[in-house]
Amino acid sequence: MRRIRVLSRAALPALALLVWTSASLHAQDPDPHAGHDMHAGHDMGPALPGGWLMPPMDPSMPMLPGLAGAVPPVTAWLPHFDLDPSDFPMAEPSRPVDLAPGDTLDLLVSPVRRMIRGREYLMYGYNHQYPGPFIRAQRGSTVVIRVRNEIRFPTTVHWHGIRLDWRFDGVPGLSQPPIEPGESFVYEVRVPDAGMFWYHPHVREDVQQDLGLYGNLLVLPAAPTEDAPTEDEPIHREELLALDDLHMTEDGQLLPYGLESPVNALMGRYGTVMLVNGVADHALEVDRGEVVRFYMTNVANARPFNVRFGDAPVKLVGSDIGPFERESWVESVAISPAERYTVDVRFPESGTVAITNTIQAVDHFRGIYYPHVDTLALVTVTERDVATDLAAAHETLRVRDEVVRDIDAFREHFDREPDHELVTTLRIRDLPQAIVLSMEIDTFYVAPVEWNDAMPEMNWLSTGNQVNWILEDAETGARNEEVHWTFRQGDIVKIRVFNEPRSFHPMQHPIHIHGQRFLVVDRDGIRQENMVWKDTAMLPVGSTMDLLVEMSNPGEWMLHCHIAEHLSSGMHFHFTVEEAEGTAPE
Amino acid sequence: MTPHGWTLFFALALVPGAVAPGTRSPAVGEGLPERAGASAAPLFCAAIPGAPEYYAIDLVSTRQVVGTGGAGGAAHLTFDTTPFGVSLAPDGSYRTTLHVQVDRLPARREGHFVAWATTPQLDRVVRIGVLDDDGFAKGTVEWNKFLVVVTLEPEGAAGVDAGSGAAVQTGAAPGTRARGAPSGDASSDRWTGPVVLRGMSRSGRMHTMAGHGPFEQQECAAFGY
Repeated sequence: MRRIRVLSRAALPALALLVWTSASLHAQDPDPHAGHDMHAGHDMGPALPGGWLMPPMDPSMPMLPGLAGAVPPVTAWLPHFDLDPSDFPMAEPSRPVDLAPGDTLDLLVSPVRRMIRGREYLMYGYNHQYPGPFIRAQRGSTVVIRVRNEIRFPTTVHWHGIRLDWRFDGVPGLSQPPIEPGESFVYEVRVPDAGMFWYHPHVREDVQQDLGLYGNLLVLPAAPTEDAPTEDEPIHREELLALDDLHMTEDGQLLPYGLESPVNALMGRYGTVMLVNGVADHALEVDRGEVVRFYMTNVANARPFNVRFGDAPVKLVGSDIGPFERESWVESVAISPAERYTVDVRFPESGTVAITNTIQAVDHFRGIYYPHVDTLALVTVTERDVATDLAAAHETLRVRDEVVRDIDAFREHFDREPDHELVTTLRIRDLPQAIVLSMEIDTFYVAPVEWNDAMPEMNWLSTGNQVNWILEDAETGARNEEVHWTFRQGDIVKIRVFNEPRSFHPMQHPIHIHGQRFLVVDRDGIRQENMVWKDTAMLPVGSTMDLLVEMSNPGEWMLHCHIAEHLSSGMHFHFTVEEAEGTAPE
Repeated sequence: MTPHGWTLFFALALVPGAVAPGTRSPAVGEGLPERAGASAAPLFCAAIPGAPEYYAIDLVSTRQVVGTGGAGGAAHLTFDTTPFGVSLAPDGSYRTTLHVQVDRLPARREGHFVAWATTPQLDRVVRIGVLDDDGFAKGTVEWNKFLVVVTLEPEGAAGVDAGSGAAVQTGAAPGTRARGAPSGDASSDRWTGPVVLRGMSRSGRMHTMAGHGPFEQQECAAFGY
């Protein structure tokens, strides 16, 4: 208890600074995410010569009247564009690193050269790798990650989904000061849950994460226990799929970012080039009959994916924090930013199987949906039969008794009334009138999920200074950082989130809660039949979801939308979990 | 037939959005009941508890069947239960459960009221099901834009009980005139009776940016395509 008081007191100046800066920038809108602002007081380098590049547009779509020649009202900027790329190393593919309890990993944040579709770019990397090192650790252990920042701007590392000590959660201005250029920070990462997690910066994610700062952390079950017996998984191999996109012009130039504030604040930055594990041509080879476990992580700024593995049935095994109660067959996997899903796929026939993003894209201008398929990766199935046939085991759907038992303890809370209700909406100011008028006309219908950016020009012109995405406490009316909830360790809290469709531009939101785990109990009043512990969940437009959160981890934590530009446009707040009496500090 | 042309055809079916300004989050937490019409009180356009109000489709009487002029109702969409928060068909279209609730229908002396969903082009039809005594039917739809119609099907028609083998044909009922002549195929799963109520999904009414949506009928060419 004493530790929490001390640390909370220590966090107060940072929070005060955050609120003050927010008030000064947004006279009416509190907090533009000032604590995550990486440019204040730092040499960000000069503006990009030539200024803005137009995002690729559908050539058949007419320019909106009044927007000819318009550019975002912030400075066009690409980090490090003024530096000589040859001064930096060529990045290499991610490599696994196994960490025993107490082991230390040095993690360097630095510029790297990347080759994408035959063209070289100066981007970012962890330990000169793309994605960052694939860290594997044992459940219940604590590993040490010593981060050194060698980029021009402050950064942090957020250990997404891990119920670790809050002081190492990587939120600038809340759990730690940002890591300044040339400085280091030592993270003690305690991993109490098995599952596939990931790590990324929490400073201008729209830039740093987009340029390659992300990696996975797999927490393996420790020695078998009665609650978590190990068993042979009916798979031959495991593969990571980090799903991403980059926003480029048709001739391969990277679209600039906004220096003072993110652009694409309305929808987030939807890329034009799909990447898997950092490349545009990801491929793997498997033997006929092989069963592959894919760990998928959506590391994109904003884009949700609908992933299909050809026509192969997909066995859904797990998500953010471990397995589902029951394995199930699905036709595709809809995954929003920051979510993870684990699936098993068997490849029974030789040939080529395309892993695709299969969507119905929307064209607001013409008022139509149209089918759109992006090939994300290719799987070549050889003529060689796999050594051990696992077909029968693969076709068996298992019940995960240990997960069912774990969740059983929470079922008595499923029917409770919500303790808190949030509404997602947004406010705008000073957007070009042409955008305002067009958007008002277009609010007759908004798709539940925006699978594509159907309005790239309008989206591009919107910045975080003009768009204020909002999480509103329905009871108090408090918005974003005006909201502050306090819980006690051990509380089981039901939070209802409603995505208000009657707003300027409603959109789906991947809601992320730091440092705790939750169940999505109900969606639109319908009880979810097969649950899994989550840390991020997608909320379509007009929908409601009830989250049952186990407030097990004391500290100061964030709740926010994981679309990077929505986060930077204010859509976050923090809450406190006070340590239960009698709980000894670690 | 262009989508524009169909917009004209269905203009009569268009009604203001079902969402009342100022309303808040739908009442949730009680779970979605199997049916919503068991109450004796009229449920005209009442929301299915738990269904997102945003995805409501008003059903409007066509007044083409005697005694149905005062009937009304709504279809509500919920996403099929899914681990992902949004349920999708293989082609990426939304997969939703359609809850059709109609009230003030007259007691039928013969035939059945059947709910259907169809594309705006009327080229594909799915049978949602026979309305029960409370005016309720439920089924799955895998389109992003669609129409809902309720027809009065003659007793024993194929459209009432698929696979029943009944070979009842009707003439050019108003509902079938919508696409020309009836198919003449007794096994057809397209409706054969007159349309009693119809409505359009909000996405079906989406055609707004070019100024020639349901409320504005300007030519596409004026907007560059």
